[in-house]
Amino acid sequence: MKDDLLALRDLDDGWLDRRVFWDRDVYELELERIFARCWLFVAHESQLPKPGSFLTTWMGEDHVLVVRRRDGSIGAYLNSCPHRGNRVCTAEAGTARGFVCNYHGWSFDLDGRLAGVHESAAFGREPTFDRSKLGLTPVAQLDTYKGLVFATFDPDAPPLRDFLGDFAFYLDVMLDNDEGGTEFAGGSITSVLDCNWKIAAENFAGDALHAGWTHASGAEAMLGRGVAGLSGDDTESYHVNVNGHCWEFNLDGVGNAATLGDRRIIDYLRANEARFTERLGPLRAKMVGSISSVNVFPNFSFLPGQNTFRTWQPKGPHRTELHTWVLVNRDAPEEVKDAWRKGAMMTFSPSGVFEMDDGENWELATRANQGVVTRRQRLYYGLGSDTAIEHPELPGNVHRGQVNDANQRAFYRRWSELLRAGTWDEVPS
Amino acid sequence: MTSLETHFEVQAFLAYEARLLDEERYPEWLGLFTEDAHYWAPGVENRGRSDKEGTYAPSRMAYFDDTLDDLRRRVTRFTAPTAWAEDPATRHLHVVSNIEVEDGETAGELLVRSVFVNYRGQGDVDAATLYGRREDVLRRVPDGGLRIARRLVVLRHAVLPAKNINTFF
Ligand code: FES
Ligand SMILES: [Fe+2]
Repeated sequence: MKDDLLALRDLDDGWLDRRVFWDRDVYELELERIFARCWLFVAHESQLPKPGSFLTTWMGEDHVLVVRRRDGSIGAYLNSCPHRGNRVCTAEAGTARGFVCNYHGWSFDLDGRLAGVHESAAFGREPTFDRSKLGLTPVAQLDTYKGLVFATFDPDAPPLRDFLGDFAFYLDVMLDNDEGGTEFAGGSITSVLDCNWKIAAENFAGDALHAGWTHASGAEAMLGRGVAGLSGDDTESYHVNVNGHCWEFNLDGVGNAATLGDRRIIDYLRANEARFTERLGPLRAKMVGSISSVNVFPNFSFLPGQNTFRTWQPKGPHRTELHTWVLVNRDAPEEVKDAWRKGAMMTFSPSGVFEMDDGENWELATRANQGVVTRRQRLYYGLGSDTAIEHPELPGNVHRGQVNDANQRAFYRRWSELLRAGTWDEVPS
Repeated sequence: MTSLETHFEVQAFLAYEARLLDEERYPEWLGLFTEDAHYWAPGVENRGRSDKEGTYAPSRMAYFDDTLDDLRRRVTRFTAPTAWAEDPATRHLHVVSNIEVEDGETAGELLVRSVFVNYRGQGDVDAATLYGRREDVLRRVPDGGLRIARRLVVLRHAVLPAKNINTFF
């Protein structure tokens, strides 16, 4: 393997090798060493309200069936029949008592166990047929953090809480600003982009720079003006990252939320500011709807304020499937939840006035690397090289200024560490 | 049963509307809607036949769930000189067919069903094809013309085979 490439030796100096966006063998290694090893977001608990509730999703290119079991716990299995490999569940969501494979009729219960087979007399005579060994393959570990369900295929992966580390402190801004917790507002929308998944992930990890430029027309539509500059000396803003999880933000409170163009959302945030402060402290309370963006390593992103939550599912080095949902506080008034559902779609869905302008940039930034000579040219990731600070309240690696490449560098550093490590023991903590 | 004349009028109206979209004449296109219009293109989910939740629902996510003011905002983006992704212009083709016309529930309204295919070419080689069914309520207005009072667009895609929807249907 290209050790030299994976080491990203020039990254600390602010340079990235373009082959990370193009090479097929880099991509294959990502599937093995990132997607088959990391904790990946698979569901919000609210999507699985009762026993039998299920959804299907992706962990890397592995299709996964996530179910609420009879005892209330959540299971996740490879959505592939152990008989001939057919997909066992063909719907993206629903409620079921179990799952029956269309090919030869093997049936599985909510625990993934093989419950029955068609022509059972033949299997019954077969000494090699052991029903207990022919269930759906479960993920190695599954855990939740405040409503979000994560799973990993790697039995040796550190516990979810260690994987998130101090990033949980930041996640609470979205997941724990209200006593009732959160839920997904309903439904999901999926689209495809002909871009490398990392270009999207790093954009949410740290790219405040593009907001005012790429999204000038969207801001014009929703705010009646462009996005104000974010790098003035008087603005207090940060890049923070932990274990490759990244959050860029300022402390304006409602800058992202304002782009939804709905008074009811701003009123809700203002009316609850005191409660946010009580739960989160004054600093994090100002992050609930501020101009900010987040990527939980590797491919789970969201925007505070707009409340769009999404995964960038890899579909080859040059293709990404985008799954989106809308997060709301469970106890928020129904009309506020609905305003968020509508607002998130108006701004960040394939037809959204902001989202619409991202895809083209990411696709062309990917496709350019098809050129062998183009691919040899390094990309500039040098912003904010001297911005690291210690902060009395903020944990993790903290950098001053949200117009910065510090998070993007941290994202690729983590990427590099994971691709070079044969086991979790070799991953620097 | 609606008259031949009404059917012909509706067909001409929908063809004209499609051309306005092909030619990006968005302000004129907005003029085809009533003030109280609702334009809804729900997200479509790949769910089983027996699933009572259905493949789409008003409470779930949508591509469009718009009042006329919402549509105006989208047009503001399309027509902003800073909409970089719209320059060079996308080459849109809206094909409308299978038009059925019947009287609406309210006097002076027509219920119109149609199918559409939206082909588009963007940049050099980028291409997408989106298709679905529409159900419109067209209202007769005082000047004698027709306006769109309600539109339901049900795409046939559970995974949208495109990076965005930079038009209307
Ligand atoms: S492949 Fe599933 S029963 Fe044969
Ligand atoms: Fe963006």
